Amino acid sequence: MEIYLYIALFSPLVGSLFAGLFGASPRTKIAGIVPSLLLFTSFLSSTVLLVYILGGGEKVHVEMMTWMAAGDLYIPFGFVVDQVSVTMMMVVTLVSTIVHIYSIGYMDHDKGFNRFFSYLSAFVFSMMILVMSDNFAGLFIGWEGVGLCSWLLIGFWYHKESATWAANEAFIMNRIADLGMLIGIFLVYWSTGTLQYEQAFAAMSGLDKEVLTWIGIFLFIGAMGKSAQFPLHTWLADAMEGPTPVSALIHAATMVTAGVYLVVRANPLYDLIPHVGLFIASLGAFVALFAASMALVNRDMKRIIAYSTLSQLGYMFVAAGLGAYWVALFHLMAHAFFKALLFLGAGNVMHAMHNELDPFKMGGLRKVMKGTFIMMTLASVALAGIYPFAGFFSKDLILEVAFVEQHYIIYSVLLFTAGLTAFYSFRLVALIFHGEERYKIFGIHPHEAYKFMLVAMSPLLLLAIIAGSFKMTYFEMVTAMLPATEYHLHSVVTYWIMTIGTQLFVILAIAFAYKKYANNKVKVPDGTSKIENNLCYKVLSNQYYIPYIYEEYLVKPYRELSSVFWKEVDMKVVDATVDGIAGIIYSSGEKTRVMQSGNLSTMLKWMVTGVIILLSLAVVFGLTARYSGEIKAILSGLGV
Amino acid sequence: MIDHILSILIFFPALAAMLGFIIHKDSIRAYGVAIATIEFALSLWLWFLFDSNVSGMQFMEQLPLVPSFGINYILGVDGISLFIVILASFFTMIGLASLTDTKNIKNMIITLLFLQMTMVGVFVALDAIVFYVFWELSLVPMLYIIGAWGGPLRIYASVKFFLYTFTGSLVMLVGMLFMAYYYYQATGTWSFAILEWYRLILPEAFQLWLFVAFFIGFAIKVPMFPFHTWLPYAHGQAPTIGSVILAAILLKMGTYAFIRFSLPMFPDASVFFMFPIAILAIIMIIYTAMVAYAQEDIKQVVAYSSVSHMGVIILGTFALNVEGITGSIFLMIAHGVVSGALFLLVGVIYDRRHTKMMSEFGGLAHVMPRYATIFGLMLMASVGMPLTINFVGEFLSLLGFYKQSHILTILAGTAIIVGAIYMLTAYKKMFFGNVTNEENRNLPDVSKRELLALIPLAIITVWLGIYPKPILVPINNSVASIVQLMHDKSTTEEAKKRIPNLVKGEDVKTLEKEAH
Amino acid sequence: MMEIGLNHYLVLSTILFAIGLIGVMRRKNLLLLFFATEILLNSVNIAFAAISHYYGDLTGQLFVFFVIAIAASEVAVGLGLLIVWHKRHGNIDLDHMSTMRG
Repeated sequence: MEIYLYIALFSPLVGSLFAGLFGASPRTKIAGIVPSLLLFTSFLSSTVLLVYILGGGEKVHVEMMTWMAAGDLYIPFGFVVDQVSVTMMMVVTLVSTIVHIYSIGYMDHDKGFNRFFSYLSAFVFSMMILVMSDNFAGLFIGWEGVGLCSWLLIGFWYHKESATWAANEAFIMNRIADLGMLIGIFLVYWSTGTLQYEQAFAAMSGLDKEVLTWIGIFLFIGAMGKSAQFPLHTWLADAMEGPTPVSALIHAATMVTAGVYLVVRANPLYDLIPHVGLFIASLGAFVALFAASMALVNRDMKRIIAYSTLSQLGYMFVAAGLGAYWVALFHLMAHAFFKALLFLGAGNVMHAMHNELDPFKMGGLRKVMKGTFIMMTLASVALAGIYPFAGFFSKDLILEVAFVEQHYIIYSVLLFTAGLTAFYSFRLVALIFHGEERYKIFGIHPHEAYKFMLVAMSPLLLLAIIAGSFKMTYFEMVTAMLPATEYHLHSVVTYWIMTIGTQLFVILAIAFAYKKYANNKVKVPDGTSKIENNLCYKVLSNQYYIPYIYEEYLVKPYRELSSVFWKEVDMKVVDATVDGIAGIIYSSGEKTRVMQSGNLSTMLKWMVTGVIILLSLAVVFGLTARYSGEIKAILSGLGV
Repeated sequence: MIDHILSILIFFPALAAMLGFIIHKDSIRAYGVAIATIEFALSLWLWFLFDSNVSGMQFMEQLPLVPSFGINYILGVDGISLFIVILASFFTMIGLASLTDTKNIKNMIITLLFLQMTMVGVFVALDAIVFYVFWELSLVPMLYIIGAWGGPLRIYASVKFFLYTFTGSLVMLVGMLFMAYYYYQATGTWSFAILEWYRLILPEAFQLWLFVAFFIGFAIKVPMFPFHTWLPYAHGQAPTIGSVILAAILLKMGTYAFIRFSLPMFPDASVFFMFPIAILAIIMIIYTAMVAYAQEDIKQVVAYSSVSHMGVIILGTFALNVEGITGSIFLMIAHGVVSGALFLLVGVIYDRRHTKMMSEFGGLAHVMPRYATIFGLMLMASVGMPLTINFVGEFLSLLGFYKQSHILTILAGTAIIVGAIYMLTAYKKMFFGNVTNEENRNLPDVSKRELLALIPLAIITVWLGIYPKPILVPINNSVASIVQLMHDKSTTEEAKKRIPNLVKGEDVKTLEKEAH
Repeated sequence: MMEIGLNHYLVLSTILFAIGLIGVMRRKNLLLLFFATEILLNSVNIAFAAISHYYGDLTGQLFVFFVIAIAASEVAVGLGLLIVWHKRHGNIDLDHMSTMRG
């Protein structure tokens, strides 16, 4: 089995290096095809491992070599395939294989075609390290590695100012969280003496509650950055500057879920500190609502989907925080499928619309883009959580969890958010595919994407529809590792009322969205309509003014303070002090050189002065030495 | 030959430098590269012969100089100094190999070979006076390099560099003399041998004063905040090769001396001053990172980033445990490689455009993709990306210090944030966007000669990031013995507590003895 | 009528020394400077001779001879230089001799 582990892990790296070889040469198809094939190999290996684990096999654990060893610290490159990591491996390799194949078509005309595949495969490699590592340090390698690749890919079109800005923002914001993560790792090391998951978690049960709380908080800060939880969320929407396949792979299906993975992986820790878990769940619920509200009014197709991702991450954190780790992981998986599908569909639309992102400028596209229309609609249905699509099984389960755990506030927030989710998803679908063909005003002639791109997307479509039916198999597998709590309402009546009620609520929201946006009356907003001048609308469309606040109150002061530090403090205080001391010495020399006038008689006078001073000093010291006893007596008499 | 390999390492370049005067101008470059390559091969041979499992000094040489005052010519290497010696010979080699055409190239090469002698001498000297002589001698070639081949402010910069560090070293010399005097008082014989000083247990009050005296000398060399202002001038004015050697090797003399002198000789004082120094180090990290962010000149960004990273090294050193000190020594190597490479990279663009202002550039990724790639790699190493060389050192240093203080480590950890801010901003300004300046449109990408220097550095950066073990093991062993020595020597309760005892169960034994 | 003792000689020597010192400091003429130097030397000679007599030790008086001999040779060399200087510059004023300015 170990050989499959290595194949699954290293084929993306080989693919990345292969594509990297062509980095400087002009675009060649082979730089896209070979990495895709290698990723497919990786996917197959992961499947073999999954089948093995499903068949009740022992988890596969290898230690490749030592990485760092100093003092008592020992960190190997160790990898483990167990029920949790194999789930993640499946999600990562499957979605990334599809995205790779899709990208061959999507990036067809781009100058940086070869480079793109090199980065994309490098990302998959980092992500595989992240999920497969058997220790915190290895996790951190992957953690930073995906951050690096995300930086490279968001800023892929580096000639665009906005893209490079967004890339830097994402990197720096992630770094803030990574500091928390790093501190968490230090704390784990100094309190348990190891960074290996198994030993560390085993040692944690004997630790002080306070230490555990701190570990939990710091690790979660790390998770907040990667999963873009409030207040570190702004980078995710800006990251949409990257190519759309990147958004599908990194900013929907894989990297952003790393935070959820971390919490799930650290479940023995979070089980010991339920109060931190509750905080995580509350924050998750808040982010779910918060992000969904911003998605309601946004006029950028990709950003709407990004906020939707953010909102769904909130759901996952609710589940993870409430101790329903397997539910979180299940939703993570289901979400990866339908959200990647949604993004890839959005990519098709973007291509068709010549990079136009405003859904108000589209409309009626279902006639020209039938395949994409079906896929995006079904993905939205799955996202909204309609039976029997994937979202129903995973998302409604989270609602149930909140209800069963008797956190009714969280439950009602999530329920309300479910309605919002349905509304903004179908607002998007309606605006893009239904209604009048508004794009004609702008002289655009849309066309459907390549056939093979649609074919590549179809596995995702299939999974978005049927993933829910794996629920029980999945439950049995993953609960070998995670707490096996089944969340069932005691009363069957309540269960049916809740389920049907939720479904009705969601369907109503969809119907409302269609009614409002799927007609011919929708116009391209020009900033004059009543709703656009509404305060609520303004707050929401400006993302609660949070980016503005960050810019005004963090970035600008930092820049100004830096400038002050350099020009005022460093140059005018620190350096000036040094120069001042040198100046004093220099000027004292300048002053005293007058003594050395070269005039014999002056010099003789100085000589005489010197002799007299020395003589008198000798006399004074001689006397003091001689009469020291008396002097002391006199001084003590004076009370000194 | 093996017995005298350290002497050969020191004096071979110096002799070669003297012979260099009679070599013809046209063949001097080949001559210099050949000498430096032989020296590098010798230092690699030293590594090959080095026994990683021994924690003490190896290849010791001893020769009396002034026996009546106990001044001897003593040399030796251990895991702490070995790799810095190798790094010094390595950088001289690639520095010479990639040297661009300068005026008076003959003098430059002779100076560099002479500089190499002093650098190796500092790191292998085990006698305080010999150490001091090489320490001061190393200023002369650097002064000459900055003063003769520097920018418009070169005289000011070189004089500032010289006087500043010289003043500091004089204070250090006084400390050394007092230390020897104290040794004489305690034992009745004079000695300047560092290993013999190690055996001396000083009263805490003396330790504090001596620590301060040594600290001033070392801190200016590092340079620690607020003694750092000579560095931006020196880097700003020095030619590329000067900056590379200065950043890669000369700054390490200060941090190396902390580990060689301050920690084992004054363990109680080290614990006493741990927090003040840690705070200085944190100021260094954050403050200089912010100053680096405000710079307009790419070379100054790299220069200030050097100071910022040196802060992490200092912090690791004063973690006073094996993890931290090992990390800080590793980070010395790492920072040498990365900042040396960054200065070389800045030199590449300076050779093409004769300006270092970032506003002059933009969109270079279009024009010079290979250059942008290597720069990007070094940038990522500089911000401490895992699997690059810097991360190992930074991780261990911070991990080590976390044992001593949580809050301070969190503050120091912001290094990974502020570092990313200035580096990414600088990279964005230079490489991203469209080519706005017409002069940049046809810049040639990195040449073969430049790649000769950059490719090995890139390989080392990644290789030691993935597999640091061959270097970490010897460092770890030597550090462990120093930490144990410190623990045994320390007299105060606080120091016993802060410096870990590596011999497990010893406390139990002594307790049992007392019980009997 | 009191006995003339060692102290009287020493006081005389001090007075002479002071006169010489003031001469050294005040005089601007090189020739007069030589005179003043001679007075300084002779004040020391008096002290030497007096103390030598007081202790009955001849070493002091021996020193006096040395001093006189050296003073003579010094004046000889000095006067020679002075004449050369006078020939070159036409004066022997101290204020004009300042080529060793710092």
